[in-house]
Amino acid sequence: MEIIRIIGIGLIALIIIIVLKQYKPEFAIYISLLTGALILLLLTDQLTGIVNLIQSIAGKANINSQFLSLLIKITGIAFLSEFAVSICKDSGEGAIASKIELGSKIIIISMSIPIISSLLEIILQILP
Amino acid sequence: MRKNMDINLLFRIAAIGILVAVLHQVLVRAGREDQAMMTTLAGLIIVLTMVIREISDLFDTVRTIFNL
Repeated sequence: MEIIRIIGIGLIALIIIIVLKQYKPEFAIYISLLTGALILLLLTDQLTGIVNLIQSIAGKANINSQFLSLLIKITGIAFLSEFAVSICKDSGEGAIASKIELGSKIIIISMSIPIISSLLEIILQILP
Repeated sequence: MRKNMDINLLFRIAAIGILVAVLHQVLVRAGREDQAMMTTLAGLIIVLTMVIREISDLFDTVRTIFNL
C-alpha cells in the first residue's frame, strides 16, 4: 500500500514540475526538494523497523554494540547525503553535489577510525 | 494526519508558483517591473519557509532513527 502512495506523490510532483518549469523554474526545484523529503518521511517507519531488527539480532549474537551503533550512524549519514547529492545533481549543480559527497565520505572515514584501529589490534594479536 | 497533509503541501506550492507567475506577468504588463520582482521574491520566501519546515522535520526524524 505504501508503494502506491510513494509512486503517486512522485508522479504528481513530476507533472507539477513540468507545468511550473516553463513559468518559474525556481519553484520546480522547491517541488523536487519537497517530494524527496515527503517520500523519505513516508519511509521512516519501515526504517525504524529495520534498525530495531538489526539491533536485536546484534544483541543476540553479542556483537560489540559500539561498532554496530557506529555502522547505523554511517548508514544515516549516507542516507542523508545521498538525498542532498541527488537533488543537487538534478538541478545541474554537479560541483556542489561532489562537495557534499566528499564531505560525507570524510565524515564517514573519520567516524570509522576506532573500528579500523581495533581491527589492526586484532590482526597484530593474531600474527606471531 | 500524515496521509493527506503531504499531497496538499505539493498542490499548495504549485498554486503559489502559478499565482506568482501570473502576478509577475500582470505587473510586468502594467509597467511595474520592480513590484513584479517583489511579488516573485515574496512567493519564493513563502514557499521556502514551507519547504524548510518539511526538510527540518525530515532531518529530525532521520536523526532520531539513526541516533546521529
